[in-house]
Amino acid sequence: MGAESRSSVSPPGRQYWKIAVVVLGVTIVAATGLYHLARLYVLNEAERNIQAVLLTHKGLHRYIQEVMHPVFYKLRAEGLVADTFYAPEIFSSTFIVRNQHKAYNEERKAAGLEEIYYKMAARNPRNPVNKADALEEKLIRMFNENKEIKDYREIVRIGDKDYLFVALPFLVNQQRCMKCHGNREDAPLGLQALYPGLGGFNEKAGEIRAIESIRAPLEQQYFLLYIVFGSSFAGLLVLAGLLFFNGRLRGMVRTRTHELEQEVVERRRAEEEVRQVNEELENRVEERTAQIAAANKELDAFAYSVSHDLRAPLRGIDGFSLALLEDYGEQLDETAKGYLGRVRAGCLRMGELIDDMLQLSRLSRGEIRQQEVDLSGMAGEIAEELRRGAPERRVAFEITPGIRVFGDAILLRAVLDNLLGNAWKFTAKIEEARITFGRKEEGGKDLLFVRDNGAGFDMAYADKLFGAFQRLHSLQEFAGTGIGLATVQRIIHRHGGTIRAEGEVGQGATFYFSV
Amino acid sequence: MILLVEDNPDDEALTLRALKKNNILNEVVVARDGVEALDFLFGTGAHAGRDLALMPEVILLDINLPRINGLEVLEKIRANERTKLLPVVILTTSNEERDKLKSYTLGANSFIRKPVDFLQFSEAIRQLGLYWLVLNQSPPLVKV
Repeated sequence: MGAESRSSVSPPGRQYWKIAVVVLGVTIVAATGLYHLARLYVLNEAERNIQAVLLTHKGLHRYIQEVMHPVFYKLRAEGLVADTFYAPEIFSSTFIVRNQHKAYNEERKAAGLEEIYYKMAARNPRNPVNKADALEEKLIRMFNENKEIKDYREIVRIGDKDYLFVALPFLVNQQRCMKCHGNREDAPLGLQALYPGLGGFNEKAGEIRAIESIRAPLEQQYFLLYIVFGSSFAGLLVLAGLLFFNGRLRGMVRTRTHELEQEVVERRRAEEEVRQVNEELENRVEERTAQIAAANKELDAFAYSVSHDLRAPLRGIDGFSLALLEDYGEQLDETAKGYLGRVRAGCLRMGELIDDMLQLSRLSRGEIRQQEVDLSGMAGEIAEELRRGAPERRVAFEITPGIRVFGDAILLRAVLDNLLGNAWKFTAKIEEARITFGRKEEGGKDLLFVRDNGAGFDMAYADKLFGAFQRLHSLQEFAGTGIGLATVQRIIHRHGGTIRAEGEVGQGATFYFSV
Repeated sequence: MILLVEDNPDDEALTLRALKKNNILNEVVVARDGVEALDFLFGTGAHAGRDLALMPEVILLDINLPRINGLEVLEKIRANERTKLLPVVILTTSNEERDKLKSYTLGANSFIRKPVDFLQFSEAIRQLGLYWLVLNQSPPLVKV
């Protein structure tokens, strides 16, 4: 897929350039191959022509020697031919073959064919026509020196034409040849009379006397056209193939592109949907936030009005109860005065409850302002304040120094106020009171704790400790509204922390918390 | 003279009682809402034609009032040339931070929270009277 998409991206011009290179390459390779094939064919053709000529010559030689010679000798023995008669035209096979070949070439020429050069080349011929040239002489020597070599071939250029030149040993002197080709003095008289020179005499048995030297033209010009046409055809074929496959590839790319486009459209639609859902969600969140903000505002207004309107009547009740006591005290008996005392106490307690409740509500609503808070320092200040409030008490504070956390200073102050205040309160009846603020590792987490050795509590009610208005001690034992720990828990939760308590009746209590 | 701006008749009675108990015998003018208080101070409405040379030594001002609330009254007092220097003590049930902040921002001289306990309330009134009517020197009357 990657390759396809890449090819679809490359400019079409570059592709045609590539195709042109490929087609040219194929054409060159095809032309080279065809040229070699043509050459081989032309060489074979020449080789076959030469072979045919040689075999024809061989047949003629045999006919002369095996048919004509016996007739001649018979006629001579019968005295019909004189002993001195000798005519190469009807006796010498080489002479006859040479002249037959001359006629053959004339016939070829007449038929519009090129001549095939043929020569019986000898070092020491009787007829100078057969005299070997420099190359032939060298070849005769070579064949004599190395009998293993059966032929020699070479492509030679004469004028502007190439020829296949073949040379091969023709005659090896036999013992019987020595009659006519040995010492001249031993040769028949007729022969001596005919050939006055040394040509053809003094040969040695076992030596090559003559070679056949033959040269056939290489008709390669006819093939040039085939090569051009053949290679062009191959090139065109490849071009057609390439264009065909290119077209198919383009078709595939088009199809795939179309598919991808569809996918893109699909994906855009999905993205659009996601965006819409997100927008909807955002709107809903905004709406909710606004609702929550409105609810908070209402709660705020409610708390505000509570702090004003709920307290005012209490002050009336308390004030007028006191007015009764003061102004009409002598008309009331002790029981009535006691009742009025209870009315006033109830008012005061309700005032405290309202104040604590408002504090709880206020602490739960305000924004948390994160900053580094020195809890140890804070605990020290609170301890000082508590000591100042009741200088007669003997309480040992143990505060681990350097405890710092991130949180809202005002809210955390309220936490320590409540926890240390509770510890102070519940150790009131202990002589050697001890209050500890420290740090402890538990399960890899840093826990802070406030511990006292005061009244403690029953673990069975541990879950009630943090409920608003929940109290584990009577008012007579220890004062309080039961809001403090609820406030502490609310603040700790708002800081993302946890709080729990451990204790035992009469053995003190420990509050563990994290911020 | 004390101007007590208080809409709650119980609180009014208790305040007057506390003043009397503590032998504060200055005249007390009671306004039962913001409009009445302003009418008295500016000599308008029901108090048209009043001698404006007579101004209270201290104004005890509640916040929660019908019609015009205490903070608006304070704002108008401070905006008026004739009344802008008058000592104003906010005397309220509220102990909301924002009320305190707003009061002082608008130029309140003091902020007292009315305790539920009448004895404490009475003590507060006593100290108030002692401070503002006896110890404190009133600002000079502004001539308009």
